Amino acid sequence: MAMITLRDVDVEFTVDAEQRSLQGKLAGLLQRRRTVVRSIKALQSISLTIQAGERVGLIGPNGAGKSTLLKTIAGIYPPRKGKTQVAGHICPLFEFATGFEMEATGWDNIRTRALLLGMSAGEIDAKIEEIGRFSGLGDFLEMPVRCYSSGMLLRLAFSTSTAVNPQILLLDEVMAAGDAAFIGSARKRMNELMQRANIVVFATHSLNTLPDFCERTILLDKGHILADGPTREIVRQYMSLVATADQHA
Amino acid sequence: MIKLDFTEFLNSISLWRIWVRLGVQDVRLRFRRSAIGLWWIFLNLAAMILAIGFVYSNLLGQDLREFIPFLTVGIITWGYITSSIVEGSSAFISSEGYIKQISLPIYVYAFRYFVSISLTTLISFTAFGVVVALYSVPIHAGTLWVVPGAFLLMSVSLLLIFIFAFLNTRFRDVAHLATVAMQVLFYLSPVLYPPELLRQRGVGIVIDLNPLSHLLETIRHPLLSGEPATPTNYQVVILSIVILILGVVLVIRRYRRRIVYYL
Repeated sequence: MAMITLRDVDVEFTVDAEQRSLQGKLAGLLQRRRTVVRSIKALQSISLTIQAGERVGLIGPNGAGKSTLLKTIAGIYPPRKGKTQVAGHICPLFEFATGFEMEATGWDNIRTRALLLGMSAGEIDAKIEEIGRFSGLGDFLEMPVRCYSSGMLLRLAFSTSTAVNPQILLLDEVMAAGDAAFIGSARKRMNELMQRANIVVFATHSLNTLPDFCERTILLDKGHILADGPTREIVRQYMSLVATADQHA
Repeated sequence: MIKLDFTEFLNSISLWRIWVRLGVQDVRLRFRRSAIGLWWIFLNLAAMILAIGFVYSNLLGQDLREFIPFLTVGIITWGYITSSIVEGSSAFISSEGYIKQISLPIYVYAFRYFVSISLTTLISFTAFGVVVALYSVPIHAGTLWVVPGAFLLMSVSLLLIFIFAFLNTRFRDVAHLATVAMQVLFYLSPVLYPPELLRQRGVGIVIDLNPLSHLLETIRHPLLSGEPATPTNYQVVILSIVILILGVVLVIRRYRRRIVYYL
């Protein structure tokens, strides 16, 4: 049974890289001066539980900690404090463009990416035809991806990434991919993917479509959970938050 | 007591399909679009061996028939150790895109480098086959003593990659420092000259205290003479491996949870 539990989680980034260098350490020793290392508290005492079958939206202004929260759930950022517990295989789809080897062909890149996302060799063999077909790239798949336009890269990445069968799906900014013809089928495919997953958590700015996707939404601001509840209610709360911020401005 | 979580480590090993693919791909892509591709590995080696072989055999009064095979094995083995440290240093840094986007155990990327570095070495090792044919180096059952040596060498390589990948991500000066150190050690190790020459001059201590020279012997001696290296050689290498394992445990304990923040 898939499940996500976070208890009192803090995530912190250090800003001043030079303070951490060997040079900085040596200089610090010589000068006997303690400089304060600046840091950003990206997440502060976050506690939440997501049960199997839930679809959860993450909203909040830029820098609220949406992506950091997703990456913490994914296990990419080990928290400074607190506990994360995740049961189930995680499939993170954060940025479709990473993990491409520019000199390798489209087919090669599909294989690599599929492996990285946790597909087995047999699964890849079974799906690779379909992935290639959905990408609509045809003969381009035989060529190194450095010849691709950015839209074509996106198609390739999207087609592969959405072919997985995830237990827990983490999405950052559900994005529209490619040209007008592609967007329609892409949206359908994304919906199918989200149907297949046992748990979906996704960060988004498109508040209008949010209620169609999920019944629960979490509002983040400055690393804190401001609200957590039924989507319509939370979206309304976020709207009024933005409105007051505008009035003050 | 040192408590270590081995599950993540074992989990990484079970993901071998991923790191083998990435590692092999790294080697292939390095030479893609180059006219002679993988042959660059040979060409590089051949040029070095010809030049050094000519100068040093005359300088040291060595017979080419013995010196060239000696030099070939030495340079390939040394190259393996050096790239484990120098290239291994960037294992995590150059995999940042993967590390920050996909939740795989970070060790996967150290194994990836282990594959690409070992594969490159293996390819260059076929050059030794050419040397064997040219200089009719005797090959017999005793040559198989190279197998335990190769096992030890690969273990050292893997452990060095782990240590330096972590350290260099934390302190970016480490790779530069290591490059300098390896250059110095190159002259202190019997790669270009037979160890006996230093011993005859009474400064054998330089090589006896140098674990890298013992490591070299576990590969070179069986290949050239068909006999095992000395027990001391094996003991020193195994002791070094134990120390390296402790080093790996230390860097993992200290940096494992913070490593992504240093990228």
